[in-house]
Amino acid sequence: MKNKFHLIIAISILSVFPLSSIAGATIAIQKCMLCHGKPGFKKVEETGKVKELYVNLSTIEKSVHKKKTCTDCHADVVEIPHKQIPQKVKCIRCHFKGNPDGAPQSDKYLEYQESIHGRAVKSGNRKAPICQDCHGNHDSKHTKDVLSKVHKSNVAKTCGGCHIDIYAQYITSIHGKALLLEHRIEAPNCTDCHGEHKILEHTDPKSMVNPVNIVKTCSHCHNSVEIVGKYGIETSQVSTYEHSFHGIAVKFGSKTVANCASCHGKHNIAPSEDPSSPVNIKNIPSTCGQPNCHPGANINYAKGKMHVNPKSKQSGIIYYVAFFFKYLTLLTIIALIAHIILDLNRRSKEWREQKKKI
Amino acid sequence: MKMKNHDSINEGFVDRMSLNFRIQHMVLFLSLIILALTGLALYFHGSWLGNLLIKIEGGLESRGQIHRVSAIVLIFLSLYHILHILFTEHGHSEFMKIIPGVHDFRDSIQDILYSLSLTNLPAETEKYGYREKFQYWGVAGGAFVMTISGFALWFKDASMSIFPKWLIDTFFVLHGRAGLLIFFLLFLWHIYDMHLSPPNFPMDWSWLNGKISLEKLKKTHYKEYQRITGEK
Repeated sequence: MKNKFHLIIAISILSVFPLSSIAGATIAIQKCMLCHGKPGFKKVEETGKVKELYVNLSTIEKSVHKKKTCTDCHADVVEIPHKQIPQKVKCIRCHFKGNPDGAPQSDKYLEYQESIHGRAVKSGNRKAPICQDCHGNHDSKHTKDVLSKVHKSNVAKTCGGCHIDIYAQYITSIHGKALLLEHRIEAPNCTDCHGEHKILEHTDPKSMVNPVNIVKTCSHCHNSVEIVGKYGIETSQVSTYEHSFHGIAVKFGSKTVANCASCHGKHNIAPSEDPSSPVNIKNIPSTCGQPNCHPGANINYAKGKMHVNPKSKQSGIIYYVAFFFKYLTLLTIIALIAHIILDLNRRSKEWREQKKKI
Repeated sequence: MKMKNHDSINEGFVDRMSLNFRIQHMVLFLSLIILALTGLALYFHGSWLGNLLIKIEGGLESRGQIHRVSAIVLIFLSLYHILHILFTEHGHSEFMKIIPGVHDFRDSIQDILYSLSLTNLPAETEKYGYREKFQYWGVAGGAFVMTISGFALWFKDASMSIFPKWLIDTFFVLHGRAGLLIFFLLFLWHIYDMHLSPPNFPMDWSWLNGKISLEKLKKTHYKEYQRITGEK
């Protein structure tokens, strides 16, 4: 297909510039730049909206697509000047698995189509993002390039372009501060919790932030000594949660019981020392006392550790009760087994003696 | 003496458990087995065993409901048992016999020595020897601890409004660990004693017919045997 397109373009270009000896593609760019290369080239739409049409060639030269020509992407432009407004660029022309153009071999567009964004676009929502809204268009760069819109440090800002309220919460959270201010590259941005191409609504059971998956999502970092351990964050929080009533209920499919986010918050997560944190000692009664949780919760809820590990000495009396019963149970088992063995031994002895008498 | 009526000999058998006690015993073990199965399901929720039990019990939610219904049965039984002791002569007189004394400790030492073949005389006990007493008080104490801690966990919102969180956490740990201990005590000891030990295999039938043969009584509760038969 694409080769055919090339052919058509080449033929059309050659028919316009039959004497030209330079490669057709370059001419195409130069030809396009006749109009689009003029700074200030713009169009006022019927709505009064001004649409910038100027293309800075150096932007494209710095992008991953520097070797591409205009019509590689704007493939519906077959004659110059084009009579119709070109359609939005469809990246999947090249970006699919098995493509012959040297584009990254990936089927991520399939994931995107299933995502909340992909479905919104399909249903006709013109505000919903397509590839270039997140990855950039003429300036699209490799993910690892710090200038890329999808580089770890820029993702939040990119998502924030639409999700502005959440972005405002995120940048003040411990995660946002750690990543954006302290440049701790392990700290999560939007996509670390929500997924990248396959972002789903939080009510979808397959969503990474759905109550049935959120513990796993947070655990990815908070259960890893390599990731959070080096910042002095306890990793036992995950296992203590998993052994609590909340954790067990979640494991067996409860959607109403408290998960990580129910207590710690979502986008505005802050350490417990922070007075704004829902797990700050002063806020615990109101956090535990949420309407569907423990209405009427008082300060008693804050008296004691939240993530209790009965095997840790720091748990105080809880540790000693567990310790006492562990050894009492062990001793009991040993004593009872010993009793059974001794009893059987004595009985067999009696039995043998009786047999001898007979 | 009124006592004579309970202890009278009938075709080589002596009364061991009245119908009332047999029914109490049945209600007790049925509720305890269900409590153990539903409780252990939660205790071992991380293992295949716990997962299997929870599945059989219809999920985590219904596991809890079954557990609490059995707990109510046990609590009503306990209340009935206490009233029976306090307000009936039969209950009261039997209760007085099961109160532990120093001789019970001596008897248990004697039996240990006997099973080690260090003496040829097993302990000679009354109707309730140290084994019966230990098991009775084990269940009674266990039921008390489990009822108190269980109520605190059941009515968590109410108990949390009165007690600090660390105490509820202590109850949680206590309820699980004490439950496990009671389970081992009952299952290893009582099951062995009453079902698996060679003279009782497949079981001691007293819990169904309420009787014990004179022959067996002589071996297991010699003092009671002496008192009933007048033998020296």
